[in-house]
Amino acid sequence: MQSLKLPFAMPRSLSRIFAVSTHLFKDARDYQILFLSVFLILGVSTRDWSLKPMAIALTFMTCWLTQIAMVSLFPPVASKQERWLSLKSATITALGLSLLLRSDSYGAIACASFLAITSKFIFRTNGKHWFNPANFGIVVVLLLDSFVWDNHAWVSNGQWGEDSLYALIFLGLGGIVLKKVGRWDTSVMFFVTYALLEGLRNLWLGWTWDVLVHRLTSGSLLLFALFMITDPRSIPNAKIARLIWAIAIAVLAFIFRNVFFNNDAMFYALFLISPLTVLGDRLWNAPRFQWLPRRLSIQI
Amino acid sequence: MKRFLNWMQVLISTTLACVVVFAYSPAVFAFCGFYVSQADASLFNKASQVVIARDGKRTVLTMANDYQGDVKDFALVVPVPVLLKEKQVRIGEQKIIDRLDSFSAPRLVEYYDSDPCARYEAYDRMSVIRGTSAAAPMEAKASRDNYQVTIEAKFSVGEYDILILSAKESDGLEAWLVDNDYKIPKGAKELLQPYIRQNMKFFVAKVNIAELNKTGSQVLRPLMMAYESNKFMLPIRLGMLNANGDQDLLVYILSPKGQAEVANYRTIKVPSGDDIPVYVKNEFGEFYKSMFKNSYNKEGRKVAFLEYAWDMSSCDPCSADPLSQEELRKAGVFWLDSPSSNQPSSRRIRPIFPPNGGRVFITRLHIRYNRDKFPEDLAFKETSNQESFQGRYVLRHPFKGETNCDAGREYQKSLRPRFEKEAQTLANLTGWNIADIRRKMNLSGLPKPVEVPFWENIWK
Repeated sequence: MQSLKLPFAMPRSLSRIFAVSTHLFKDARDYQILFLSVFLILGVSTRDWSLKPMAIALTFMTCWLTQIAMVSLFPPVASKQERWLSLKSATITALGLSLLLRSDSYGAIACASFLAITSKFIFRTNGKHWFNPANFGIVVVLLLDSFVWDNHAWVSNGQWGEDSLYALIFLGLGGIVLKKVGRWDTSVMFFVTYALLEGLRNLWLGWTWDVLVHRLTSGSLLLFALFMITDPRSIPNAKIARLIWAIAIAVLAFIFRNVFFNNDAMFYALFLISPLTVLGDRLWNAPRFQWLPRRLSIQI
Repeated sequence: MKRFLNWMQVLISTTLACVVVFAYSPAVFAFCGFYVSQADASLFNKASQVVIARDGKRTVLTMANDYQGDVKDFALVVPVPVLLKEKQVRIGEQKIIDRLDSFSAPRLVEYYDSDPCARYEAYDRMSVIRGTSAAAPMEAKASRDNYQVTIEAKFSVGEYDILILSAKESDGLEAWLVDNDYKIPKGAKELLQPYIRQNMKFFVAKVNIAELNKTGSQVLRPLMMAYESNKFMLPIRLGMLNANGDQDLLVYILSPKGQAEVANYRTIKVPSGDDIPVYVKNEFGEFYKSMFKNSYNKEGRKVAFLEYAWDMSSCDPCSADPLSQEELRKAGVFWLDSPSSNQPSSRRIRPIFPPNGGRVFITRLHIRYNRDKFPEDLAFKETSNQESFQGRYVLRHPFKGETNCDAGREYQKSLRPRFEKEAQTLANLTGWNIADIRRKMNLSGLPKPVEVPFWENIWK
């Protein structure tokens, strides 16, 4: 890490801020935060989503507070700086929830945010959490909604529409992040498997090809493939394990969607396959992904 | 460290307190005004109307029938997800569909400005302009064939003779339908194939002239079918066969949970809540048609519009009386009388808390579909979104009496910019020529606001 050589002496507290800022955009999470924020702004301004500042603020606050609380309570004991850095992961979770989960009740949003962050600390093996936090929060809240009571929370699958413009934006920006974290393979494998299955089904049914294109350019599907199943901290470490894992999710999502006619198939598929990360790591060894090189900090 | 923990404690407890206050309280809308007029289905030629009452997997689907030609030539072919037996098919009432239409149609409301010299608001008058609705059916023609077509069921309901067919090959089905005098358009074979492959059955209906004469009217009544299926969809592709250009479809989804939306296309709300010029009162139908077309084109012709979403136990303003329990039952709502007798279907376990206490939530979706932008059949999704929405347009009548006080003069000056703004809004919404709008409003007849130099306020 280069240290800034400045022509004057700085107080220690200030130099620490500078030290953190040189890390900016070395951490792939910064890109992810930036791009997800762009998507959120895009969605609100061009896709006619109803903007609910209170809901978004609540999501962020709950995620941040839960993260800080959990980090303080659970080992490994992290230094103050590391705690602040771990807020980046919480921010990404909050952005994911704001983008995907729709609700007309603040309780449901707070519940989803709280559950999302807590899942990182409860469901872990050897220090690695299995569930993608946003996915966990969304699925638990959706299950409550379907089976227990009217939870006032849902996912709008059609919220992005099927627009090639958005597809390009997602692919472009998603590609940058995936390149940084080196998880392109997972995305591509998922998408290719899913597209293949849908293509075969389309062929068998006898629909024209525009039906297939329509199904595959759904903005929600692309966002899922690019950002949700590629959370490098919770997916299997080894490449071969990741590929198998991506194929499994694609197959399960296809089954949920076309056999059970469940519109939220992808989220449930990821949720069910997530615990198999542990198995994948046991069978195939590889070092765990780090946001920043080990010597810089410990990540949560 | 200790201070940090203390600080965290305070922050967390405050936040938890806030969360508890907000917990599970859905947003509440309040509005007061008067219903004047509505834009119902009759505005849109050949708009199909479908009512879907759905709870879990159980569905009651009602299709309105507005066939205009010779009843001898009438034929309806609809893919249905499951085999239907005679007891699952009924005749519905067009009146009920009309009631749903009136209840949920976009509406015009008027306010009257009060005397600016007196300082209170007084709301006046309620006039109701109601249109009659007429709907065209989802006509899917099909042909008969003897090859590998099984007549699973054959029965009569009311004035219809109904067959439930299952087929193995689309050529066979097409030939069977043609041979049995169902006139099927070209290209049906390719479109029937996906439905056959999806294991869907075909509901085929013809009119029994003798029975129709017994009913004493030449109007064909709606068909209702009840079934249980995972598929929550409408097979619109088949209906696109013999249509050039856009077709309108109005879907009323009744659900105990909340709003429903289209799952595989974008659903957006129709523009609502704007102030528009008073003269539109006489042209509300034209206004709504233009506005809808304008919004539709702006969105690239590939979205579904939400026109109304409300809990049916109340309305505000009410463009029609809320439907009674009996009318709801006739519309297909089956969960109202006995919430405890619901057999749990495999997807839903017994709810821990009674979820809705017999609520009926209506969602009115207006979908204008066409072959190029709507390649997939519509799939719907019920959500527990209980936010209310209505297409509502506001007229503000200016005060016509004497305004001799200072406030009155201020009021008169404010009128012209306000009318100008209303004209702009109207032009934006409908795409009409702004010069025409201004002319119709007689904007030029209004006194131009006179610029008063600022010192006149203190030095007279």
